[in-house]
Amino acid sequence: MPQQLSSKEQSLFRQVIKYYESKQYKKGLKAAEQILRKNPNHGDTQAMKSLIQNSQGQTDEAFALAKLALKNDMKSHVCWHVYGLLWRSVKNFEEAIKAYKFALKIESDSIQIQRDLALLQIQMRDFQGYIQSRKTMLQQRPQIRQNWTALAVAYHLAGELQEAEKILTTYEDTLKQTPPKSDIEHSEAVLYKNTIIAETGEFQRALDHLEAITKNNLDRTAVMEMRADYLLRLDKKEEAAQAYRDLLARNNEYRAYYDGLEKSLGLDKSDKGSRQKLNELYDSYAQQGERIDAARRIPLDFLDGDDFRKAADRYLRRMLTKGVPSTFPNIKALYSNSEKKQVIQDLVEGYASETVVNGSAEKQSDGETSKNFHPSVYYFLAQHYDYHMSRNLVKALEYIDKAIESDPSAVYYNMTKARIWKHYGNLQRAAETMNHARTLDERDRYMNTKCAKYQLRNDENDKAINTMSKFTRNETVGGALGDLHDMQCIWYLTEDGESYFRQRKLGLALKRFRALYDIFETWHEDQFDFHSFSLRKGQIRAYIDMVRWEDELRDHPFYTRAALSAIQVYLLLHDKPEIAHASLANGVPDMDGMDANERKKALKKAKKDQEKKEAEAKEVEKKNAAKKGGTGADGEPKKEDPDPTGSKLVETKEPLEEATKFLTPLLEMSPKNIEGQNIGFEVYLRRKKYLLALKCLLAASSLDSENPSLHEQATRFRMTLSSLSEPLPEPISSIIEKNFTLLPKSTDLVAHNEAFLSRHKNSPRHIHAYLKVRQQLEPTSQSENEKQMQALLKLENIELEEAIEGLLLLDAWSSGAEVKKAYVDTARERWREASLFPAAII
Amino acid sequence: MAEPQPASIHEGADPDAAEASENPSVPATADDRKAAAALSSLETHGGAEDEESGRKKLNVDADALGKAMRNLEIVAGENRGGAKGKEEVKKEEVKRVKVEAKDVVLMVEQLDLSKLKATDLLKAHDGDPIKAMTAYVTAPV
Repeated sequence: MPQQLSSKEQSLFRQVIKYYESKQYKKGLKAAEQILRKNPNHGDTQAMKSLIQNSQGQTDEAFALAKLALKNDMKSHVCWHVYGLLWRSVKNFEEAIKAYKFALKIESDSIQIQRDLALLQIQMRDFQGYIQSRKTMLQQRPQIRQNWTALAVAYHLAGELQEAEKILTTYEDTLKQTPPKSDIEHSEAVLYKNTIIAETGEFQRALDHLEAITKNNLDRTAVMEMRADYLLRLDKKEEAAQAYRDLLARNNEYRAYYDGLEKSLGLDKSDKGSRQKLNELYDSYAQQGERIDAARRIPLDFLDGDDFRKAADRYLRRMLTKGVPSTFPNIKALYSNSEKKQVIQDLVEGYASETVVNGSAEKQSDGETSKNFHPSVYYFLAQHYDYHMSRNLVKALEYIDKAIESDPSAVYYNMTKARIWKHYGNLQRAAETMNHARTLDERDRYMNTKCAKYQLRNDENDKAINTMSKFTRNETVGGALGDLHDMQCIWYLTEDGESYFRQRKLGLALKRFRALYDIFETWHEDQFDFHSFSLRKGQIRAYIDMVRWEDELRDHPFYTRAALSAIQVYLLLHDKPEIAHASLANGVPDMDGMDANERKKALKKAKKDQEKKEAEAKEVEKKNAAKKGGTGADGEPKKEDPDPTGSKLVETKEPLEEATKFLTPLLEMSPKNIEGQNIGFEVYLRRKKYLLALKCLLAASSLDSENPSLHEQATRFRMTLSSLSEPLPEPISSIIEKNFTLLPKSTDLVAHNEAFLSRHKNSPRHIHAYLKVRQQLEPTSQSENEKQMQALLKLENIELEEAIEGLLLLDAWSSGAEVKKAYVDTARERWREASLFPAAII
Repeated sequence: MAEPQPASIHEGADPDAAEASENPSVPATADDRKAAAALSSLETHGGAEDEESGRKKLNVDADALGKAMRNLEIVAGENRGGAKGKEEVKKEEVKRVKVEAKDVVLMVEQLDLSKLKATDLLKAHDGDPIKAMTAYVTAPV
């Protein structure tokens, strides 16, 4: 039986709810306590009180009280509902669903509980459950359109397209008259129905339907794009061409429209026969306006030979005379064709040697543009020689200096100079130059960001955060860094984490990568609000896009990057657990050179230092917090971070399990990323999950059978298999033998390795892999390997990064200090400007 | 706030929508209404807005709507029957595949899968763990 209250207290209870809604938590608590004084065991009130506590951040107390409330009144839907809400607030959706279902059993027609349940079901992608909930809700209130739409969405997401369409049509048939044009919800709903029809593949029907609704539809662009698309798919070329021409009349810079027009005219860029026509087509569009860029730029993609030279000349002159700063980024896509690259280089070099006096008549008539011409040319050439496909850093520097000379305060010229230094490997100078560029316009946020990034690349973490703080909300808990977390500034966290990783400050590195992991988690949770919001606003098409995007959220390149780095850290922690403590001291003392006793002492000292430092940091933070009252961006109280340096993260007992957390979404969402497969192998091999390790090898081999890491890993896998202390159980071992065809049991590994080398005599990374394998097969060959490693530095095509990887490899072999020094000396001779060789290793 | 307003009225709602309180879903007694409103906005205020947009839909033909609902139920009923039929067929198929618990354990252990996924994988390969694991490991990228 529900517990009864006297009428006075009933009204008090309603007030509690009201206070809760209006977020007057203190008043709400007071009223709740007033009821509880007379009815100490009133479940509903206790539940409400716990809900308020939860909103005030007292999660643990809230749960305790909610459980008590349930004990007092098991049959109250309020208690169960609140219990569900609490679970929901801590993101445990499965428990929340259970609680809601209990609440619904008691109060089967509560619209509110039903809706909350439905929201959780779609969040968890329980489509069948969602369909059921939505059906119930529709039956409760059929007069509300969004209930119909929502049921259609449920069917749609579950893949039952016909059913979804039927629901929408059924509702439309009940309308007495077509809603007015101003009814956005209607306009969106019919367009949504059209996309469903198109998804069934019946384009003719979709087209007919679209034509019927065009007149009253508000999203004109979408209608026109969809129509053109359907026409093209139905092979109605003439009409499609007209449709794309209409679209181009609205936006003549959008490449997709040009592509559509080409297709509907039956033209193909790769077909020589249609080039003439294509050229005419684009020419006719270029004629339409002086400012149109796309129609002038696209022909450069398909023209070749003399035609290309002429068109490129015209295009480049036009852009450079105007002084368009983005000319090079516009052009560089053409560089994959080496012929075109050469033509462009010749052309622009030619411009540079033209004197201003010889400028064309057009330029003379406009003094301003002719002044622009030469600096723009220099700027272009500097970027050209800085670009990795046409790199010549000496020339790049020469040209950028000329450009800067003509205008010392040009922000972008100075920025490019910084980039050139970066490619030289001189991060110190790059950061300084970028900082100079930043000071030229301190209100330019882009430059500020660039500068911080360059400082992070130079491992100046404090300077970088200081730079960032010029544009952050610094009164947040944790200051500028705290605000960057709140604002989910993933690029900064990534760069900061990678910088700490380079410095072997593993705790801080992990801290940043975990923060990134959590941000992706938050993005996943963020969709929750839209399950109801989008329906209410009637924006169904955008909602469907969002749901599908969320399903593939972690294929984001930033996730991949953070995951790869984080897993590397965890692997390092697994292989050398002593690093965890060493990194506490914010530096790696030479552990190998000490005996056990000294090592222990050093560790102890390091730990003590660390503790002392943390205590000091806490003291400072406390003071700051007291001063500023510490609120988050949304004004709600925020919890202090108990582990700001990540020392707890580093001390994890299960680095491999932690690594797997990052790895699983990586392999699932970006299976085509070979680095992911490479690192997956490392994790699974250490976890002795040999089948999964094999899976990674097979996947990598299907992506690139000559991948250097794959070669080394496959050999290592074979060696591991043959040296297991006890053989693998059946059927595991036979499955492995049957499918590990990369290196059958009988392979002579040494010969296999030599064959690999002979296939890749000139590729530093492949030779690294070869040396790594040889080191494992014949540990006595180390000195020979070291020699060969050093010889690699003389290779024509070796890149700075590869040289650094070589150094890391020497480090992994615990080569002697003099070997490393000789290596670094040779490398420095080759890259005189580079500051990149990590001090921690030398 | 000057006066307490009825829970169903919201700032900025259009006035004639507020008048149309003949909404059948609005509870009968004042108390019930308050309680319902209170509950409906426990977490979000969406519920009340539902009502608001519901009231705007004066354009809906009530008779047609009733008919539509009845049709829907029939259709849904039929469909459910149909779906059930299919499901049953599927279930029978699945049931015919016998899955040994020790195989599931083995796959969970070797492939880092959840129990549910391991079971599904086994079922998809006629309960043969070797086939299932081979397929999993050699799945194309």
